[in-house]
Amino acid sequence: MLKFLAKLGLYFTLLKKVFSRPEKPSVYYKQTLHEIVSLGLNSIGIVMVVSFFMGAVITLQTAYNTENPIYPTYLIGLGTRDSILLEFSSTIVALILAGKVGSNIASEIGTMRVTEQIDALEIMGVNSASYLILPKMIATLIFNPFLTIISINVGILGGWLAGTMAGVITSEDYIYGIQYAFIPYYITYSLIKTVFFAFIITSVSAFHGYYVDGGSLEVGRASTKAVVHSSILILLFNVILTQLLLS
Amino acid sequence: MIRVINVNKSFDDNKVLDNVSVSFEPGKTNLIIGRSGSGKTVLLKAIVGLHDIDSGEIWYENVLFNKLGFEEMKEIRKEMGMLFQGSALFDSLTVEQNVRFPLDMFTKKSMEEKTDRVNFCLNRVNIINANRLFPSELSGGMKKSVAIARAISLNPKYLFCDEPNSGLDPLTAILIDELIKELTEEYSMTTIVNTHDMNSVMEIGEKIVFINEGVLCWEGNKDEILKSDCAILNDFVFANALAKQLRASGR
Ligand SMILES: Nc1ncnc2c1ncn2[C@@H]1O[C@H](COP(=O)(O)OP(=O)(O)OP(=O)(O)O)[C@@H](O)[C@H]1O
Ligand SMILES: [Mg+2]
Repeated sequence: MLKFLAKLGLYFTLLKKVFSRPEKPSVYYKQTLHEIVSLGLNSIGIVMVVSFFMGAVITLQTAYNTENPIYPTYLIGLGTRDSILLEFSSTIVALILAGKVGSNIASEIGTMRVTEQIDALEIMGVNSASYLILPKMIATLIFNPFLTIISINVGILGGWLAGTMAGVITSEDYIYGIQYAFIPYYITYSLIKTVFFAFIITSVSAFHGYYVDGGSLEVGRASTKAVVHSSILILLFNVILTQLLLS
Repeated sequence: MIRVINVNKSFDDNKVLDNVSVSFEPGKTNLIIGRSGSGKTVLLKAIVGLHDIDSGEIWYENVLFNKLGFEEMKEIRKEMGMLFQGSALFDSLTVEQNVRFPLDMFTKKSMEEKTDRVNFCLNRVNIINANRLFPSELSGGMKKSVAIARAISLNPKYLFCDEPNSGLDPLTAILIDELIKELTEEYSMTTIVNTHDMNSVMEIGEKIVFINEGVLCWEGNKDEILKSDCAILNDFVFANALAKQLRASGR
């Protein structure tokens, strides 16, 4: 328990260091663009693949679980849309990104720690925490909402393809269903969650990487811890945010 | 001038620095020698502020360095260059970008001026035609040289080197040692070098301090070191067979 509190303190000390005044904005700007490419653009592929198949399977499952003549089939479209909006494109995509982006951040920063590159930054008078972490944070906070939007669209597309090809729903019904009783606030809700989750992924992973002590073995461990801890926090905050935003 | 006064440092129960006091003079190559695990790296990192110390004082000229906040420390750190045990070049940057990094961060020079300075520094350490290579494409000796070039790119007043020649062949090791010594004289830097290599000691040691298990045991220059009557130091100095023979024949 005491150890946990000490870790928590360390985490907030790090955040304070991250958000202190940057020494040269132009350098940070360039780094942020670089991170948008390496953490954001490079994640589009996996997000699209996962979203496509999840959209497909959600449609099929909704269809097979509601095989009942009194339900109009357009409800399958509606069910797919709401599952994707409410849970899938924010939470599940965040969990997948925690695996991809989180381990990437923790091992990159952790390697810099054990090879003394962070010490080298410090000795030059660079605020290493801010220089290494802030651009990653800004990049994911800006870019992850786009990933969510991409995921929503690709998921709904996947549902449409799977549903029509398997013959469980007609194209017209699906399209009618995804527009039926649409609540625009669900998109806002999804995007708010995404922003929180992006912050969790980058800050928790960076924390584990930044305080690695030892060698490459510890870097591996830090990267595993980064994924596990950010996933758990994402699930926890999913409950909290849902209660706050939807009640 | 860097002064270390009564510095103590422990990791948990392990006392690594025990009341160390020593001063280092400008324009000289100062050596810290000692066996593996004796606390050399910890002392050097304490001097530059990478390790917090438990008690004691570290002075740069007339500034009490270890009590400064991050922002004030930064001003002095801009005058420091440091060469790490494993070179610590930035993996994701090319040789040229590595050496230019401090210039990008802390100067308002034009790209052309910066490139000139980078090439000057790389030439000075004899690294030619490697500007576009990445650190992973360099040999250990080249990495050390590039790291030296990066350390001197802002014309530092203080240069710190942690085992500059570990892992290098004897000839390259001597080249690196001499480079450090020449640069120290050229720019009258205060240079502190950690080493356990007796060759370096005899080549470049102008002032030598010997630490053993965190205690500073002996101070002097390279002529005095052969005649000292400190037993632990003698064990260290005359550890290899050749040195033993020299002592036997010289006495
Ligand atoms: N970050 C740390 N945490 C805990 N103990 C440490 C840490 N760094 C060093 N030590 C301990 O301090 C002691 C001195 O280590 P140091 O790295 O200064 O030795 P050294 O003289 O530089 O040795 P070498 O010549 O092998 O580099 C060792 O006992 C080491 O275990
Ligand atoms: Mg060492």
